[in-house]
Amino acid sequence: MIDLLGLVPAILRVSTPLILAGLGVHVSSRAGVLNIGIEGMMLAGALAGVVVSALTQNVWLGLAAALVSGAVLAAMLSGAIHLLRADLILSGIALNMAAIAGTTLGLFALTGDKGISGSLPSLVLPSLTIPLIENIPILGPILSGHNILTYAALLAVPLVALLVTRTPLGLAMRAVGENPEAAAATGIPVLRVQVTALLISGLFAGAAGAFLSMGYVSWFSQNMTAGRGFIALAADVMGFGYAWGTLAAALLLGATEAITLSLQGFGVPSELLQAIPYLVPVLAMVIHARRRKLHEDD
Amino acid sequence: MIRNALAEAALTVAVVIAVVALVLVPLALTQPDPMGVVTTFLFGPFRNLRYLGNIVELATPSMFCGLAVALILRAGMFNLGVEGAFFLGGLGTVAAALLLPLPAPLLAPAALLVGAVVGSSVCVVPGVLRARYGASELVSSLMLNFAALFIGLYVLNVLLRDPAAGAMVSFKIPADAKLPKLIEGNRIHLGTLLALLACGLGAVYLFRTAGGFESRIVGANPNFAGHLGLAVRNIGLRAQVIGGLIAALGGGIEMLGLYQRFSWQALPGNGWTGVTVAILARDHPALVIPAALFLGWMQVGGDLVARNFDVPNEAVGLMQALLLVTVTAAALTRNPKLLRAFGARTGASA
Repeated sequence: MIDLLGLVPAILRVSTPLILAGLGVHVSSRAGVLNIGIEGMMLAGALAGVVVSALTQNVWLGLAAALVSGAVLAAMLSGAIHLLRADLILSGIALNMAAIAGTTLGLFALTGDKGISGSLPSLVLPSLTIPLIENIPILGPILSGHNILTYAALLAVPLVALLVTRTPLGLAMRAVGENPEAAAATGIPVLRVQVTALLISGLFAGAAGAFLSMGYVSWFSQNMTAGRGFIALAADVMGFGYAWGTLAAALLLGATEAITLSLQGFGVPSELLQAIPYLVPVLAMVIHARRRKLHEDD
Repeated sequence: MIRNALAEAALTVAVVIAVVALVLVPLALTQPDPMGVVTTFLFGPFRNLRYLGNIVELATPSMFCGLAVALILRAGMFNLGVEGAFFLGGLGTVAAALLLPLPAPLLAPAALLVGAVVGSSVCVVPGVLRARYGASELVSSLMLNFAALFIGLYVLNVLLRDPAAGAMVSFKIPADAKLPKLIEGNRIHLGTLLALLACGLGAVYLFRTAGGFESRIVGANPNFAGHLGLAVRNIGLRAQVIGGLIAALGGGIEMLGLYQRFSWQALPGNGWTGVTVAILARDHPALVIPAALFLGWMQVGGDLVARNFDVPNEAVGLMQALLLVTVTAAALTRNPKLLRAFGARTGASA
């Protein structure tokens, strides 16, 4: 019924934005900033990538624009919570609202269409075929031929793990996330650390958005992130604070989505399968919270 | 005291006006007739009774959702399941109206009750998980919103779908279950009165009952409440149950008041609007009413501008987002210098 080998590239494809955005959430959460606005940052990145790649006819400039726009929104979120001292969660919700509205306005201004960027000649990020490996019978199609951002996402996992666990910045981030007052007392510049973490988070969100509109599909459509940012949030929660955990969770959630897609048309209730990526994290949270509570009660 | 409270209110109003201008003016300048855009947005909604009716009609679900969010936030809980509760409440109500074999006078109340109980689960489950295991109600409610959406769409597809209709919509809601219209010539229905009543009752509950008092203490300082011997967890959970029931009831009332069939294919967004309403109302149930009417006015104004000019009504979404940030921004609305400029006595540390 299902071609299991054929499913591997599909899972990687669906998981790529979840890994990228999940890492983004992971980094900011370490510094104590729960980035609810990740969904909106992805959306902005998706539009910026399409628009700039269409205008410049240079796919790398498109990618760069996506990264930058994710970071710009992250800077705006930081401005809201640090400068204006607004509530973090409410600002995140506001950022998502603003991104849906803003990208629609932007798309309409450029194309006269509110729904889809079909009239823009935007580009697609290339896929990478690895010489020699691509010719190996079974491993070839699994390892080779994926979008360049898929490889980037997988490579980013150890880098983020290193950043968080082995660098001074990572240590400062975790100290700030654990207890900002104590961190400040030891001389850690709390504000600078949180802003840096948020900006990194925004870059990852922008990359995730670029993958959606310049890899997963080749256009931008209204609200195309469709809740993926929230699944990324879940992936971080399920990762229990580890970058590798976030990767595992993103792959698991991506696999569920990929299987859902491949089962469509087989009479399986696809709506119920679509609910699974949102139910699994809740279960994982309960298990995690319960274990922590048992631990504390000892 | 009163002087300072007035200054705070005046400052909030000033911030709101500034935000509307900040979005409206640049967009108006992109049009050949900027003044037309501005006047259409500001005064268009008052031009005739039908538009005024639209404001009230849009404000009704916002009152339910805003009240629900306000009661939840007051207890110090950050449960965003209101969005999913509103959706599932609408679906549950329509399902009950279609499936329950009840006579006319009982059908609507019974359907609304079923919808409220079913829909509230989106708020109640995160509440229980928080109370029992200490799991973040914020993240789990965000997840359950989408779970509720897809499970709801499954129920719609399998149980309620009308095969004769072209799209994925339910069978027609029976006429017996519809809420009566109040005024000829527009779509205002009984639900609006229920929304006003709910906000009034919410204010009484929060400020005149022991339960509401407990909830405010827990919200203001959970540690203090714990030392007083209050059952902090249960009080937090209670607020989320009440909020979930109100939001889900709002979804059901929206369906029975305005819709022919259940036709939502995505989360309708009323819960998020409810968050903005509650924030504008400073989590006060009675102030939810003007806040909801204000957002309704903005939406009608935005729609009128979209219909007459080349400015999509998403501009209103941008205003809502900015309001959410600026009104909660301590550096703006709690700024002693600005408060003094608006007439507060010096040393105001509200």
